[in-house]
Amino acid sequence: MKRTKAPHARKSAGNAPARFKVGDRVRVKDLPNMFYSRTQMYARGVSGTIAACTYQDLIPEDEAFNQEGRLEQYYIVRFRQKDLWEEYPSEKDTLQTEFPDRWLEPA
Amino acid sequence: MSQRSELRQQYEIIGSLQPAIHTPQNWNYEIPSALYRAYMHPPHDVGGQRDVPVHYEEKEEEQWELNTYVTCEVLAWRGVWNAEERRRRADNDLGYTLYLGMPYYGRWIWAAARMLVDKNHISLTELLEKIAEVKSRYEAH
Repeated sequence: MKRTKAPHARKSAGNAPARFKVGDRVRVKDLPNMFYSRTQMYARGVSGTIAACTYQDLIPEDEAFNQEGRLEQYYIVRFRQKDLWEEYPSEKDTLQTEFPDRWLEPA
Repeated sequence: MSQRSELRQQYEIIGSLQPAIHTPQNWNYEIPSALYRAYMHPPHDVGGQRDVPVHYEEKEEEQWELNTYVTCEVLAWRGVWNAEERRRRADNDLGYTLYLGMPYYGRWIWAAARMLVDKNHISLTELLEKIAEVKSRYEAH
């Protein structure tokens, strides 16, 4: 059988350094959607706080197409529910979700 | 499609699967930006969409579902694809109608079959002939 492509997305040795630390304010980038993403529409353009630096991995948009790439730091970002949904009834509730470095910018 | 009446019925079902926008979509020359963004929206990004309360059901896997899971994991273990590619294919590439309409593991096995054809591990003709062969074997019993 013809094999046209290396099946595994290879993880190259060089790692992109983590730009953020716990407590930093960050905003989720609003890149266009096309073909694949794991960055939720409701979080795009919204600011939150880094709650944890989790692990390093490829970004989903590359790995999903078996692209080689540098490992990037993943972060758990905490948002105020009120910032995500204007009509949300409580000021205190938060929502946490995870993004790779590339999807975040300093807020 | 053995009966012509079945063919008509099949067209009725296909027609009813069209997206709920219920505006005629006949290969438009122009579409508004908001509609374009909606078309490009990944089907699995369901957060924030309105829905009615759903009955929670504790359902055990059936044998075909376990077989599907193992098949997909073995394909990953052997390096034929990775989990993110599986999600891209099974949650995204199949489109809204299949994403919302198929059982969970139905999407997995659809994605595995599509991937094996895309990467030339099997040909579509081989796959179709095999499905037809298995189907006729079941129908004989």
